[in-house]
Amino acid sequence: MTELCLTLKHTPAQMVDVSALTPDLLAGKSREDILRIELLSGNRKLRVADLFDLSGNDAQPSLTIRASTDRLASIGARMQSGSIAIAGDCGPYVGLGMRGGKIVVHGTAAAFVGCGMRGGSIEVRGDAGDFVGGALPGDKQGMRGGSVVIHGNAGDRAGDRMRRGIILIAGDAGAYCGSRMLAGTIVVSGRVGHWPGFGLKRGTLLLAHPPPEMPATFQDAGEHELLFLALLSRQFEREGGPFKTFLPLSNRVRRYCGDLATGGNGEILLGLSSQT
Amino acid sequence: MILNGVAIDDTFAEAFGMRATRIIVTALNLKWAYEAARTMTGFATSVIGCGCEAGIERELTPDETPDGRPGLAVLLFAVSSKELAKQVERRVGQCVLTSPTSAAFSGIDGEPVALGKNLRFFGDGYQMSKVIGGRRYWRVPVMDGEFLCEETTGMVRAVGGGNFLVLATGPAEALAACEAAIDAMSKVRGAIMPFPGGIVRSGSKVGSKYRALSASTNDAYCPTLRGAVDSALSPDIGAVLEIVIDGLTETDVRNAMRAGVEAVCHVGAAGGVRRVSAGNYGGKLGPFHFHLREILA
Repeated sequence: MTELCLTLKHTPAQMVDVSALTPDLLAGKSREDILRIELLSGNRKLRVADLFDLSGNDAQPSLTIRASTDRLASIGARMQSGSIAIAGDCGPYVGLGMRGGKIVVHGTAAAFVGCGMRGGSIEVRGDAGDFVGGALPGDKQGMRGGSVVIHGNAGDRAGDRMRRGIILIAGDAGAYCGSRMLAGTIVVSGRVGHWPGFGLKRGTLLLAHPPPEMPATFQDAGEHELLFLALLSRQFEREGGPFKTFLPLSNRVRRYCGDLATGGNGEILLGLSSQT
Repeated sequence: MILNGVAIDDTFAEAFGMRATRIIVTALNLKWAYEAARTMTGFATSVIGCGCEAGIERELTPDETPDGRPGLAVLLFAVSSKELAKQVERRVGQCVLTSPTSAAFSGIDGEPVALGKNLRFFGDGYQMSKVIGGRRYWRVPVMDGEFLCEETTGMVRAVGGGNFLVLATGPAEALAACEAAIDAMSKVRGAIMPFPGGIVRSGSKVGSKYRALSASTNDAYCPTLRGAVDSALSPDIGAVLEIVIDGLTETDVRNAMRAGVEAVCHVGAAGGVRRVSAGNYGGKLGPFHFHLREILA
């Protein structure tokens, strides 16, 4: 038994929903069964055989997608276990609603990374689009658990309506980072765009650098040493890998309460060690 | 069996099943961790009148605590899960939450018992939850910053009521031997000695001539009653002290008893120790029997 590897033969003309190709769904399927799986592409159905060359025969515990492009949507959506490595870029909705397992994107990811996810971990080595860990339009809650690590930059509205879990962005984050967030933690090592924490109800935005302008609905609560940050640091050490990129975390932060327009029980924490 | 001039009675200690938890209390420094932990484990000598039996198990280095600060491991024992939950909430709420710079964490895995789950409401809506590494913590705003408290701690089945009696020529000799025992026993993990300084002088028997009392003084071991009652003391015994042990497992109680009795025997006859005995109810009430001679064999 060797690890299953799907190599994209050519860039599809339209977006293809590959949510059927997760380690847990492919477990126990023969090579022929996998090649016959139908994938939606617009109003057409394609078979795996039309798009991918297969090597290996065992999707559990890990699966690799090679030569991936941004036309492959919903990679690892709703997956429960196992891991997917994506060599190349990927389209929107990677890890949509996932509940467990691990996804590593070696290239860049389009919008809605980890949208509505409940568990597991996603690592994007390149940049990510808008709505990282966000909610699907119409959904009341975004990400509800698990972790997302973006090594590059993230687009606008990272953590939109996020409810639980952690998003770590090593690069910059766009505008409205943590918008309408309900709870959870977002750490941004780079800079954030305008209006971080817009409509933030609860939850934490931990920023290494101050935003271009602190929104008027966030009030300065002063400098504090917050013990939970020590716990977070230790957790990052335990997790290792990409989490270590975010160490050391300073326990001493400047706390801004907000968004006061929506209750003010959330916070923007500015790490003092790297404050400019 | 005689060790260093100390006669070891051919008897056993009878212990009971209890429910227990371990809570890690940390603070800015060890002094304030001790303040919180001592307050929390105060008035917790016996389940009969205190609701639980509690004590400090050991000091923890910053490497061993969740928040990297100095801390202490505290063990609490109660007769039922309901009573344990009540005591945990009351004691952490009144003694740890109130203590400057303190934080409280679960120190054992088991059936969940509320730790910060209800104490968070002290935050009056300003409390914040953080799930870190799959565990939920509450950040409760207080006047020196934030009280950080894990949502639940673990409850396990444990053993309470292990004991031995030190019979010596006088109170000073009995106390010195018991102090040596407590020094040795406090190094044993998973066990506490809940009485003041770990030592109890008011051993009890079941029942009383007064109908309202379920227990009363253990007259057979009271040196001043020798001659008036069916005494268990020979003329050379001037004082008896008892050490009671609660442990997370039968092995923990056994290890603590062994360490304690060995330390007492090390003091020996030269230190005025004459006998070591143990308390039991004929073996019919408690499921755990710790035979002194077997423990020391």
